[in-house]
Amino acid sequence: MSEPPATEAVQAPATETQAPAINAPALANGDAESTAKKVSPAELKKLAKAEKQARRAQAKASDLAPKPQSGPSKDGQKQQRDSKQTPKEDKSKPLPIRRRPSNPNVPVVKEMEKKPKKETKQTGLFFGHLYSQPKQQSMNGASKDVHPAILALGLQYSSYAICGSTARMVAMMLAFKAVISDYQTPPGTSLARHLTSHHLSPQIEFLKSCRPLSISMGNAIRYLKDIIIKIDPSTPENEAKRGLLEEIDIFIRERVTAADKLIRDLAATKIEPGDVVLTYAASSIVERAIIQAHNAGIPFSVIVVDSKPLFEGKQLARKLANAGISVRYYLITGSSHAVKDATKVLLGAHAMMSNGRLYSRVGTALVSMLASAHSLPVIVLCQSVKFTEKVALDSIVGNEVAPSEELLSELERRDLLPLKSLLPTSKNKEKAGGEDEKADTADVLKWIEDSKNLHHLQVLYDVTPAHYINMVITEYGSLPPSSVPVVHRLSTNA
Amino acid sequence: MSTETEPKPLPEFDVVATYRRILKDDPELTMPVAAIEALVEAIAQSLVSTVAETLALLERHTAALKASIANPISLSAGTDLFQRYLITTLNRPASLNLGPDDDFRAIRNHLLSNGKLFVERAKQSREKIASFGKHFIRDGATVLTNGGSRVVSALLRRAAESSTMRFKVVYVLPSSDSSDLREGHQTIADLRANNIPVAAIRDSAVAYSLGKVDMVIVGAEGVVENGGIISRMGTYQMGLLAKSKGKPFYVVAESHKFVRLYPLSQFDLPIEQKVLDFKVTGEVKSKEDEQKNPFDEAIADMDSKGAALNAHDAVDFTPPDLISGIITESGVLTPSAVSEELIKIWF
Repeated sequence: MSEPPATEAVQAPATETQAPAINAPALANGDAESTAKKVSPAELKKLAKAEKQARRAQAKASDLAPKPQSGPSKDGQKQQRDSKQTPKEDKSKPLPIRRRPSNPNVPVVKEMEKKPKKETKQTGLFFGHLYSQPKQQSMNGASKDVHPAILALGLQYSSYAICGSTARMVAMMLAFKAVISDYQTPPGTSLARHLTSHHLSPQIEFLKSCRPLSISMGNAIRYLKDIIIKIDPSTPENEAKRGLLEEIDIFIRERVTAADKLIRDLAATKIEPGDVVLTYAASSIVERAIIQAHNAGIPFSVIVVDSKPLFEGKQLARKLANAGISVRYYLITGSSHAVKDATKVLLGAHAMMSNGRLYSRVGTALVSMLASAHSLPVIVLCQSVKFTEKVALDSIVGNEVAPSEELLSELERRDLLPLKSLLPTSKNKEKAGGEDEKADTADVLKWIEDSKNLHHLQVLYDVTPAHYINMVITEYGSLPPSSVPVVHRLSTNA
Repeated sequence: MSTETEPKPLPEFDVVATYRRILKDDPELTMPVAAIEALVEAIAQSLVSTVAETLALLERHTAALKASIANPISLSAGTDLFQRYLITTLNRPASLNLGPDDDFRAIRNHLLSNGKLFVERAKQSREKIASFGKHFIRDGATVLTNGGSRVVSALLRRAAESSTMRFKVVYVLPSSDSSDLREGHQTIADLRANNIPVAAIRDSAVAYSLGKVDMVIVGAEGVVENGGIISRMGTYQMGLLAKSKGKPFYVVAESHKFVRLYPLSQFDLPIEQKVLDFKVTGEVKSKEDEQKNPFDEAIADMDSKGAALNAHDAVDFTPPDLISGIITESGVLTPSAVSEELIKIWF
């Protein structure tokens, strides 16, 4: 009886923060490594890693003894913790996610001991390759080089406090301003050589570990690096820094603020009296265009289609309604009804691919296909900073997987709790007797993770084929989706 | 500034009259080219001496021209192009190989001669298109066409000139008894005179005849940014029918007909067409239904004198997905390449 609560105690807090007992040495480890990282080659890292793994595996073996088979959830956590402490290492070794459940359960090397066990459950069908880095949810294990502004920003990313491709990009550039102004070139190096590789990359790595970079962020980083590289090494540091800060401001002003304004004005002219504008989820630029058209006195109404788990559309619907626009709110399950009433579809974008496809919040493809089937014009509003030379053929190869536990809200988890007695595992049932009173909503997630045939998948984006898009409005004007690469070339060269 | 206030020998150059005269003098000319010619003449006759003045003058005349005719889409292609050309040359005077000491007059002369050159080139483009396009017509083919496009006629004539090629033409006559019909008969007579067998059909017989047709070739009033075309009413339905029967649908248009316009649907054109005219008996003279309906296609405007655009010279929009290719003097483009061409011009 004493065993399960004990493991519970380790597990439950692990979902939020890490168990302190394990954390302390691990942190020390991480520090030691990060310092070692700077000087030592990959071999040294591997060695240290193996050592640590071995130590931890031993500790866990004793820990896990009573419950060897309920591994997945716990190991998942462990794995997450692992990579949190050593975010760098994850890259250097072969991708752990590629391991398939077909792999033997018997560990081949000691280092790999817990990996196969973790993978006894296939992660998200063919989306397995996307589970590269468990999401960073706390500041623990962050490299000490990471600037406080970036730390804060990273947490805002992972909690979706800052959400949306443009907002994330702008926030990142502003945080970089803080980073750059606090930066001091170490003696013996030049700013142009040192800043990018040694100072900015840890920041970027940390942001990446909080949430994968958006296309626009990638473009902005590329722009920034390009500017830094071009700084004349003889420029005095202060001057160079001032120049960089200015460049960032210009970038934001030209590529976001001014572009937004142009797009907003252009898109507003596309809204005509009597229109019913349908939009999906939330996009800042769509919101602005709609408000602009409304302020111009055009009588029209809006349908906001939304979906769980982020419910971004709720905010948008509220804002538009507060602005005095008549708004109808549908969930995506009702979108087939929503398109019947609509006359136009305005969509935001995460990115526009070079084959003219739209990469946007998951569900966008569904909505635009429905609209296209009703021969409604589908209009995408997208700043050219979100254009990418990448192409996407489907939503599987490139996508972002968010932690699947976000899929079930606290309320929904509670609703599922009474189903506990129906769980197939008889072992669980026996235990349930003792645990009944302290049924925790976190358990629901555990059940799902424990079950062999039930997957929990949350992808954030999908790809809409160019065929379903009638028009892309950018700051360069309106284009057919096929012209995306032309404008992308234009905007990167100019 | 001083030049503007001093003598005014030609206080109001009538650009509209010039435009009309140019069009009448040379029936081979298209609207955009005539517009450009009129604008060149306007600049030549004026006394502008600065860049800003030139642009202001141009803007004024362009507005006058656009206001003077009912359907300025095709015309605006020409004026926009000329304006764009002026802006780029005026902003980069260095590219004209003029010394820094040269006065504005030199720049103006350069502009004028270049403007003339442009008009010349535009006239030649028709022949060039014909030589590109004739290869699309195979021996033994039957071509479906409509309208009075001079480029299409030129192309068909050129194809007929080569003795190895025998092809037939199905010509869709406009249904209404208008100038278009006369134009249609004229085109048919012209083609027949060139030894091309022509069958004339009503537009209601397009679907019926399509089985005997191998390809569709149409002209266009304007080619819009997404690669669709604005053309005489009835072209859209020909496109739809051709698509449904899998017949290639080619558009023949000079590249000065490319317009910076992006219609999303038939009713998204910048002109008001009184095609859909809802009525009940007895209501014919009433005017109050004008305010009732927010959709412009449903507004019944009885003032047919004022609304110059009647059903018979109305246009429709053929979306790019119905078009197989656009034959221009700079090559044969896919619809999606049009936007690239326009971006090249505008950026």
